[in-house]
Amino acid sequence: MGNYSFNGGIVIKNPYLVNKVEIIQASLPKKIILPLQKFDGNAKPCVSVGDYVLVGQVVASIENGFDVSSHSSISGVVLSIDTQDIAHKSGFKFQCITIKSDGEDKWIDNKGGNVDFLHYSKETLVGIVQKSGIVGMGGAGFPTHVKISKVLNCHTLIINGTECEPGVMCDDALMQFYPKEIILGVEILLYICGAVRAIIAIEDDKQAAYQALLTFNRNDRININQIPTKYTSGAEKLLIKALLDIEILSGSFAINEGIICQNISTTKAVFDAVINHKPLVSRIVTVTGNGVYPNNFEVRLGTSFEHLISMASPTNTKEHSYRTGGMMMGIDVVDINMPIVKTTSAIFINNKVPEPIVQECIRCGQCSEVCPIGLLPQQLYWYVKSKNFEKALNYNLPDCIECACCDYVCPSHIPLVSYFSFAKMFSKQQTIEKNKVNSARERFKYREHRLERNKLERAQIMLDKKKALKEKMVKEQFQKQKITETIQRLKQAKDKI
Amino acid sequence: MTLILSSTSWMMRQVIYALMLGIVVSYYFFGWGIVLQIVLGVITAIAVESAFLALRRRDIISSISDGSIILTAILLAISIPSIAPWWVIIVGVSFAIIFGKQLYGGLGNNLFNPAMLGYVFLLISYPLQMSTWPINFLSFNQALEVVFNLSNIDAMSGATKLDEIKNSLSLLGSIQQLEIYLPSQAWINAGFFLGGLYLLFRKIISWHIPVSFLVGIVITSVLLWISNVDLYIPIQNHIMLGGTMLGAFFIATDPVSSSTTLKGRIIYGFLIGVLIVIIRTFGGYPDGIAFAVLLMNMTVPLIDVYTQPKVFGK
Repeated sequence: MGNYSFNGGIVIKNPYLVNKVEIIQASLPKKIILPLQKFDGNAKPCVSVGDYVLVGQVVASIENGFDVSSHSSISGVVLSIDTQDIAHKSGFKFQCITIKSDGEDKWIDNKGGNVDFLHYSKETLVGIVQKSGIVGMGGAGFPTHVKISKVLNCHTLIINGTECEPGVMCDDALMQFYPKEIILGVEILLYICGAVRAIIAIEDDKQAAYQALLTFNRNDRININQIPTKYTSGAEKLLIKALLDIEILSGSFAINEGIICQNISTTKAVFDAVINHKPLVSRIVTVTGNGVYPNNFEVRLGTSFEHLISMASPTNTKEHSYRTGGMMMGIDVVDINMPIVKTTSAIFINNKVPEPIVQECIRCGQCSEVCPIGLLPQQLYWYVKSKNFEKALNYNLPDCIECACCDYVCPSHIPLVSYFSFAKMFSKQQTIEKNKVNSARERFKYREHRLERNKLERAQIMLDKKKALKEKMVKEQFQKQKITETIQRLKQAKDKI
Repeated sequence: MTLILSSTSWMMRQVIYALMLGIVVSYYFFGWGIVLQIVLGVITAIAVESAFLALRRRDIISSISDGSIILTAILLAISIPSIAPWWVIIVGVSFAIIFGKQLYGGLGNNLFNPAMLGYVFLLISYPLQMSTWPINFLSFNQALEVVFNLSNIDAMSGATKLDEIKNSLSLLGSIQQLEIYLPSQAWINAGFFLGGLYLLFRKIISWHIPVSFLVGIVITSVLLWISNVDLYIPIQNHIMLGGTMLGAFFIATDPVSSSTTLKGRIIYGFLIGVLIVIIRTFGGYPDGIAFAVLLMNMTVPLIDVYTQPKVFGK
């Protein structure tokens, strides 16, 4: 299989290299916070405050097809069910279940182990994936069961092991330590979506992971493909371009083209769910940055950042800044009491440095040279800054994947992506408002139309009634006349006799 | 006062360093005049910019420390004759900063290249002062006397070579009898060329504008030269005389006023090259770089609209 490429992107050397990738078991947290709101739906809590729950017990069940279940990741007592802050781009509060640990780590009876998945039907497996609470663990958090059941004529399954955010190594660790499990996970996914082949894409700076997977891969439908290390190669559409030279159209999705992308962590979670009957209650989180020795931890979902940070760097935490997700696309953690969620791949602990001073855009065009989508960030910035959103939309603002390559190279340190995501949100809001106004207008028009129609109908009915009355009267008169005529005739006949 | 160091100011500084070689060569041939012009220009620039920033209630230190106005002042100072009277550079730099930059809203918002705007303003307003060039090396005292109008300058000055060629051509009717090789100009151009290569090497400018600029000059001048060998100056003179290299690497590449798309940069640079030869050959002014750059500055918004790169998935 040839290697293609996409335009733009940047090569960033991993700033926090380690000699050997490891996975450390994080200690049990004292309490966990589980956010319930999922991609689009909203799973409903099925426990109440004061209930005792076990590890792996469902605490929020499925309401609609988009939902996935939530499971307790510790055993203990439900403390509260309320809205709390989550490290999420939106900055919204989410409904959360808080559980206090009893320190016992008692599991539900999950009778798993070495199941032959081929005995299951595809639908059963999709159900298992949904009920095990599996979402895309790369960052987007899209429900995995939706992807694998909605795909049409799937021909290629792509397993995204690029982990292109520099410094993050949780998928690297999984590939090195669980190659067998991952290959089996890929086989399960292949079976469910009915793809002809699977490609595991690994960046060429992860040799150990590549070798490990090669050693355990006995399936000739699974290709393990190295791609050049370049930032943004982990973005779904760009990865597809780099591997298959297929360009997914703007506004379309990979599943419409018969291609599915799944993350390495997600694949491992599918393996655990199907083979071990183990729901998603923990994940590997990379702790890295210049304020700590970089490492991976297996962490229970819902553990606070603070718990993990204190384990990774026992030094003074006042001097550090925290960022989750990645140095490029991640978000700053303002409150380290917020929980680690299913999509938390990493936490960056960095020594605090003064914010760079933002200077004017000199239109040097470096941003457009690195934009993998081929946008002109300097023009977009110009239009967004002057609140000319319509023009920004004409310049393909919605196609921006917010990869922050432009931020990275901007010599004037302009936070371009912040401008763009604001503009996107704003124009989305505007469209919603517009649609609301339009639909209100439609409704009003319809109401007018209906009233007019009713009036006409009523008039018609009145007319009909009048007509009917008249006809009735004529008829009655006619009958009366007939009766009198008959009476007269009878009288005449009587008289004759 | 601590200067704020950042990449934009780093870029500006690199451009200023890259100019140094050409300036040194120029100094070697014509002496201290150029140094005086630069000093006067930079002082004026800082003063005018500070005053305007104060009026606009902007942060003075961060704006001045980005280096852009210093670069503008140096570019204008080395474009004008080094023996021009002291007020010429002051008027030119003030005009460039006020009308070329601040009135548009400061760095990044100007449509025209400020240095070239100042240059054209001076050329139109003071044609005599702007076309009197030194012919020998001037010592510091001589330069001081000339620039501050303390002595007669006639003995030390002449027209530019391009001007001279043009005037002689109209008298003689053929280029063959002219001595048109002028080592000093060629060496100065070589100096700026090397400086430009440094900028390319440091990736401060991309190759698109300088290369298409020079290609534009070469193609146009070759076409003209082929059409009439007697009438038009050969291509090596277009390349080596006037401010060709300064224009190709330092003036046309000004990011603010040039096209930002890659295709657009090629069109922009090429057309500047074409216009330069046309203006030099048929126009009334000795060198056409400033006019060519300003004319193309006007077309940048249009070029940018029509040269947008292909968007992924569209």
